[in-house]
Amino acid sequence: MASRLLLRPSRALAASSAGISPTRALSSCARRLQQSQSPEEDGRTTHFGFETVPEAEKEARVGKVFSSVASSYDTMNDLMSLGIHRLWKDQFVRSLNPGTRTSSPGNAWSILDIAGGTGDIAFRMLDHATNINGDLHSKVLVSDINPDMLAEGEKRSLQTPYANTGRLDFKVGNAEKLDFVESDSIDLYTVAFGIRNFTDKEAAIHEAFRVLKPGGVFACLEFSHVDSALFNMVYKRWSFGAIPLIGQVVAGDRDSYQYLVESIEKFPTQEEFTGMIEKAGFMVPGKGYENLTGGIASIHKGIKP
Amino acid sequence: MALRRCRIHKLSPTLTGKKCVSSTQSAVRTYYSIHHPDPAPFPPIQAQILSTALKNVPRLGFSRDALLSGCRENGYLEASAQLFPRGVYDLIHYYLVTQRLALKEKVQFQQDAKLSLTQKVKTLTWARLQANVDDGIIEHWQDALGHMSLLENIPASLKELGNLSDEIWYLSGDTQVDFGWYTKRAQLAAVYAATETFMSTDRSKDYADTKEFLDRRLGDVRVVGGTVGGAMSYMGWIAGNGLGLARSWGMKV
Repeated sequence: MASRLLLRPSRALAASSAGISPTRALSSCARRLQQSQSPEEDGRTTHFGFETVPEAEKEARVGKVFSSVASSYDTMNDLMSLGIHRLWKDQFVRSLNPGTRTSSPGNAWSILDIAGGTGDIAFRMLDHATNINGDLHSKVLVSDINPDMLAEGEKRSLQTPYANTGRLDFKVGNAEKLDFVESDSIDLYTVAFGIRNFTDKEAAIHEAFRVLKPGGVFACLEFSHVDSALFNMVYKRWSFGAIPLIGQVVAGDRDSYQYLVESIEKFPTQEEFTGMIEKAGFMVPGKGYENLTGGIASIHKGIKP
Repeated sequence: MALRRCRIHKLSPTLTGKKCVSSTQSAVRTYYSIHHPDPAPFPPIQAQILSTALKNVPRLGFSRDALLSGCRENGYLEASAQLFPRGVYDLIHYYLVTQRLALKEKVQFQQDAKLSLTQKVKTLTWARLQANVDDGIIEHWQDALGHMSLLENIPASLKELGNLSDEIWYLSGDTQVDFGWYTKRAQLAAVYAATETFMSTDRSKDYADTKEFLDRRLGDVRVVGGTVGGAMSYMGWIAGNGLGLARSWGMKV
C-alpha cells in the first residue's frame, strides 16, 4: 500500500494538508512531506525525491545522502540492480568508444567525468581507451561535489594501472559551476547516474556546453522511465518495495534509498530530457536516447555544433 | 451538386466547362507529393561530414576510419562520430539515399523518346548500378553489402531497396495502380539486389557480364510477371464465374 501511496505524491500531500492523518504510509516519505509544507518563502524550490525543498537546501541534503552511502555504494548498486548496472556502464562506455587509435599527446582526448565519485566510469573509459584503441595518452578528470565519494574513488584508483600516471585526476567541484575547467577544452563529458541529483539540471547542461570543444560530446547515463506498462508494474514494485528495504538491511540507511527511488520517479522522461539537451544548443544523434533494459536506464547524447 | 457534376466531367476532359473547373479547384484540394520539395534526408552537419567521408571511401573503404576522416576534415573531433549511432552503416545508408535521390537528375527521358517501360526501367537500373563504379566504391561494395546484411541493419536496408525500386518505377513513368503495383516493386527489388551482388564480383570489361545478367533477370521478370498476371486474371475469372453460379442457385452472396 505504501508504494501505491508514494506513487501519487499530490494525493498524499492533499491528504496531509486536509488534516487527515497520513499514518498509512509506512516509509518516512509522508512524514517528510509534512515537514516540507512550508518551504522558505523567498527562495526557489526544487525536488528532493517527492519532497519540495528550497534550492539552497537540496545540495546539502544530497550531500548527506551520498556521504552516508559512499562506502557501501557498489555493494548496494549490485544488490539493487541485480548486477545489471555493470552491464549498463559497460554499454555506455562501449558506445562512446573513448580514445583514439592514432594516439599521440597532441590528439589525446580529455574526458571530464562529472559525478564520477567512485571512478566506475572513469576506470572503464581508460580501460577501453587503452585496451581497445591502444590509446595511452587520453586523460580523465573525475569531478564530484561530494568529497567522501571522491575519496572512495581515489582510494580505488590505487588498485588500477592508472594511479600516478597523470591520466587520472580527481577534483571536488559543482557541475553547475565548473570554474576549474576552461571553455572549449573537453572532448567528452560524461555523467552517469548523477544528473538526477543536481539542483539545477539546465545549468549543468549549459555548463557542459561551455566546457566542451566544438564537436565534443555530452553523454549521460541515467535512470529513466520504463516503456512497457506491464514491466513498469513489476519494476515499481521492486524499486519502491525492495530497494529501501535492502538499503535498510545492508547499508543501515533507509531514507537515502527511499530518496533514490523517489528521485528516479521525478526525473524527466526520455523525450523531455532530450528536449532539455537540444534546448541547450546540442545536436542529438537519431532520436537522442537509447533505452537500456526496457527504459530502466537510458543513455542520452548531445554533440556541440 | 455542382461538385458531383464536376467529378463526372473530369472523366471526359473534353466536356469540362470552364466554370466547372474553377468550382472544382475551390472544392477539391489535391495534394501531390511531387509538387512539394522533399525535406532534406539528413541534417546539414551530418550530411557535410558524411559526404566528406564518402570521398575517402575509395581509399579507406566503408570503415570507421573513413567516418573519422569526415569528422576531422570538417573541423570536428573524433568524438563527434557519436553523431552516427549506427557507425559505418550510417555512411552506407547516406550513400544509398543520396544515390537514389540523384537518379532523377542523372536520367531524364526525352518526351518523344519511344522507349518501352522495360527499356526505361533497364536504363534507370543500370544508371544506379553504374554509380557504384563511377564513385569508385565498387571495390568496397562487398563490405557494404556485408554491413547491410547485419541483423540490426536489415530492416533499414530492405526499406531503402524498396524505396529505390519504387523510385525507378516512378521515374520510368509507370502509373499502374492495382495489385501489380506491389509485385512489380518486389520483382524489381529482387532483380536489383541480385544484379548488385553479381556486379561486386564481376571482373569483365565494363561490366559486360553484369549487363547481360540484368537483361536476363528482367527477361525472367517479364515471363514470370506475365504468367503470374495471367494466373491472377484466370483466378479472378473463375471466382467471378463461381459467384455468378452461386447466385443463379439463389444463394445470397
